[in-house]
Amino acid sequence: MVSLKRADFPLPDLSDERTTEFFAGAARGELVIPKCDSCGAFCWYPEERCLKCDGDAFTWTAVDGHGRLYSWAVVRRAFLPAFEGMVPFVTGLVALDADPTVRIVSYVVDCDPDALAADQPLDVVFRDLRFPTVPDRAVPVPMFVPA
Amino acid sequence: MSDWGHATELDDISGQVAIAGIGETEYTKASGRTAREIGVEAAERAIADAGLEPTDIDGLSWNGAFADFDADAFHEHFGTSHDLWTSRWGGGMTWAGTAPHLAAQAIADGKARHVLNVFPVAWATQRGSMTGGPGETHAAQPLKQNLEVPFGWFPQPVYFATIMRRHMLEFGTTEEQFGAIAVACRRNANHNPTAVMHEKKMTLDDYLASPLLADPLRMFDSCLISDGGAAYITTSLERARDLAQPPAVVAGVGEGNAESGGHWSQQQEFTSTPQVFSAPPAFKMAGLAPGDVDVLTVYDPFTVVSMMQIEDMGFCEKGAAGEFVEGDTLHHDGELAFNTHGGLLSHAYVLGIAHVVEVVKQIRGTAPAQVPGCEVGVYGGYTGGMASTLILTEDR
Repeated sequence: MVSLKRADFPLPDLSDERTTEFFAGAARGELVIPKCDSCGAFCWYPEERCLKCDGDAFTWTAVDGHGRLYSWAVVRRAFLPAFEGMVPFVTGLVALDADPTVRIVSYVVDCDPDALAADQPLDVVFRDLRFPTVPDRAVPVPMFVPA
Repeated sequence: MSDWGHATELDDISGQVAIAGIGETEYTKASGRTAREIGVEAAERAIADAGLEPTDIDGLSWNGAFADFDADAFHEHFGTSHDLWTSRWGGGMTWAGTAPHLAAQAIADGKARHVLNVFPVAWATQRGSMTGGPGETHAAQPLKQNLEVPFGWFPQPVYFATIMRRHMLEFGTTEEQFGAIAVACRRNANHNPTAVMHEKKMTLDDYLASPLLADPLRMFDSCLISDGGAAYITTSLERARDLAQPPAVVAGVGEGNAESGGHWSQQQEFTSTPQVFSAPPAFKMAGLAPGDVDVLTVYDPFTVVSMMQIEDMGFCEKGAAGEFVEGDTLHHDGELAFNTHGGLLSHAYVLGIAHVVEVVKQIRGTAPAQVPGCEVGVYGGYTGGMASTLILTEDR
């Protein structure tokens, strides 16, 4: 079994090249998604090759932060020590208006979990992600709020 | 609908090989044993069941992603050193369904005569040292580690809660319908003395009272965490007829793949499994249809995975499984005998290998919750981005 020894887990690993741009975008208040230079399709997740045309060059492109709530879970059990004190929280999939096949995984915040509805409009916000198990570190990330 | 995945092209091997031996260890909570010890014990019992000797085994398959059991473990345990045809693409999960196809090819090519497929697991024992339990292998994947885990979308119960909710939203599936699957598996396990949950009854009210781990997913929607293992031997049908047990004939095999790989979040047909691609060619190879099936076992880490595979394998229309599974449909004495050993939910979480062994027992007529006159049994394997279908029949 693999052991996850990275001291700042479960914060994202900002040194991972495949996702560096995503978090750099969030730090400046932009939601950025890789767009294939060959066919123009958004490619999410950032894989090595475009699933549509097999292209291998991408430009991280800012999209507006509107989307719809595709599905979600209200997490009540803290599955990692880092999540203790956070539960219950809402995490789910947001299908972007720019391309609904792109689903961003994130927290839905400032909401009543019982009032959430399928495909309801959401807007992106950028908030610092912190975990009590990783003191003194915060990473700005996209989260979503009801529109 | 069909552009989100594809079937693997598989040669037609219908009727060429059979499963001729099965072996199982005890299925338990934390046992303190290693998966290697469990694996060799399952292997030994399968060899004995077939009436073979360890030196007769000339092919071995296991799952290379779980380095606990391999050819070295085999030779060390049995004190042997003979050449083995080997494949790391066997073991449990989807590969528990496709290993007989690999074996059939090795046998047809003259590389092996008796191919042993083994899968052991000791996750109940290892659990305390794993980050997020079985989620650990997922957390180690960079894209999940950076784009899912930080956002609380981890581990597996959270993925499947999200899929379950979408199934409810799209098709009107109810929590009682998911509960019907859990109750059926438990009742079947109550008939099976080797099931971890053999002694524990569960009613629909018990299900509805079980804690929500990730709403709408409850503890009783979720598989156990277990120690245990099983093994089976594939050989030519001709050879199987000379061995100790009645053959379970491999009539059809299928394998399906989703383009999104192992990322559930990006799977465009979110409430479907790659069984959509796997089951039809397997039934075609077997010359059978879902209506011919006497016993169905599917890889069932969560109730929604059963719900989706029942639909995707063609036992009912897409979206209709909620109504289909209500009441006692899936009980061993119901309309579609399902996970008759108790499944991952109530038998043991040994990742599908015991499902295949259960189908073999049903074909032999020796299962604890035996379906009378069982002639056709099916295993539906599932590993997120992949699915497999293994159809076994009585030797006629």
